[in-house]
Amino acid sequence: MAGKSSATPETYSPSLTGQRKKRPPILTDSDWVRPDGRSLHQCRPAFLRTGAVNSASGSAYAEFGNTKVIVSVFGPRESKKAMMYSDTGRLNCNVSYTAFATRFEDRAPETKDLSSMLHKALEGAIILKSFPKTTVDVFALVLESGGSDLPVITTCASLALADAGIMLYDMVASVSVSSLGKNILIDPVSEEESYQDGSLMITCMPSRNEVTQMTVTGDWSTPKINEAMQLCVDACSKLGKIMRLCLKEAATAPQD
Amino acid sequence: MVGLSLGEQNFIKGGIAQDLRTDGRKRLTYRPISVETGVIPQASGSARVKLGATDVIASVKAELGKPNPSHPDKGKVYIYVDCSPTAEPTFEGRGGEELSLELSSALQRCLLGGKSGEGAGIDLSSLSIVKGKVCWDLYIDGLVVSSDGNLLDALGAAIKAALSNTAIPKVQVAANASSDEQPEVDVSDEEFLQFDTTGVPVIITLTKVGRHYIVDATTEEESQMSSAISVSINRQGRICGLTKRGGAGLDPSVILDMISVAKHVSEQLINKLDSEIAAAEARDEEDEMDS
Repeated sequence: MAGKSSATPETYSPSLTGQRKKRPPILTDSDWVRPDGRSLHQCRPAFLRTGAVNSASGSAYAEFGNTKVIVSVFGPRESKKAMMYSDTGRLNCNVSYTAFATRFEDRAPETKDLSSMLHKALEGAIILKSFPKTTVDVFALVLESGGSDLPVITTCASLALADAGIMLYDMVASVSVSSLGKNILIDPVSEEESYQDGSLMITCMPSRNEVTQMTVTGDWSTPKINEAMQLCVDACSKLGKIMRLCLKEAATAPQD
Repeated sequence: MVGLSLGEQNFIKGGIAQDLRTDGRKRLTYRPISVETGVIPQASGSARVKLGATDVIASVKAELGKPNPSHPDKGKVYIYVDCSPTAEPTFEGRGGEELSLELSSALQRCLLGGKSGEGAGIDLSSLSIVKGKVCWDLYIDGLVVSSDGNLLDALGAAIKAALSNTAIPKVQVAANASSDEQPEVDVSDEEFLQFDTTGVPVIITLTKVGRHYIVDATTEEESQMSSAISVSINRQGRICGLTKRGGAGLDPSVILDMISVAKHVSEQLINKLDSEIAAAEARDEEDEMDS
């Protein structure tokens, strides 16, 4: 049977507009124009909601541009029998990516590394002695990875913990910056991260002005680190206020 | 490790506050460092570093491989640390896995820079042989033989020494290779290229105990820490990586202060380490000439 060799224009034909154009690498002395039109020191608008998962003790959903994360918290619940008695509570964190979260060409992210970093970021904020002998499990699932993943995961996890009613010293907000040549960009997207030559991530408790975690990669001079830290801490305090607003809205919303 | 009594804990903290640690060192003094290179003959390069009772071995193996399609002109480096049960009985089986992963990722952050490979302490473009087709893959393995605190600094020093000791064979590429075939590569047995390590950074861990910072903490002192910062600094004083460890929060101004203290200490450490590595290499060559 002769196959239809020419597809008529009215029927579906794959569109080529979805192809990603490769941007040429930036020269060190020119300014970077951000693909989504933000200024260099502007974060993506944050969409935060608690109560995303009904069966969990607490949960939250966060969407920062194209980075979408859902975190659910279970606990405090009984520790496994094999674990020894401990008079402080235990925290167990797990980060996983859905199969469709990243583009095909990108390497699978190291989730073990992310899980341990999430653990370190949160353990300084949780009042562990309020739930001895028990464990709190935090499960983070990245639905779409659009850049600056770990800060979004940490922020969302802290919101979920608050939603679960776990006692915290303070909310934990996290922001990262990328260094591209002479520019410092806050809250980078995946494209900017692929061109970066340095990154700095800070997790802090805004009201207490304490940094619980900080990682720096790439080549930095001290004044640059100073500037980047200031940017991050400032952004974290604003993010902290947004998080509190979200929790207040959830608490005052009518129960249905 | 045997637990510390309350009296011992106060002794350690009080001593640090008065700039006199339990082994007589000042807060910013390192333990004596000893470096031996060429300890593993089958590897392309290796080194053993002893920092007091902490003993680590680093080995570098170079193999031919294909470069990453997103970075066709760069080689690949893999860093992995293994904590041996000889250091601590708790490291047996899966016990040391968490610590190994933490050390591996901290070392990768400090020496290999970010995702795009920029800002790396090790020059990856020197590992490329044929752009897009053939490159050197370096497998750097660290082994913790005995642990008495400050593993990250010791591993960083051992990797630096092992890289200085690494001899990468010269390769001849067949000139008539067509553009889409895998080119034939002839690995020389005689001629070697020494790896250039002047740009490789050192790692300095500053541990905060009470209100003061100490450098090169022993296991006892680490048990009393509230938090620690590991900074990777190169010869030009640029910061190549930073990791905060420990659960307690730190004020941002304290972090900046710790970074400047680390920079100050790094100058002495880099000079000391370079002279030790050079002495070890010289001893190595003498032994080869004698045998």
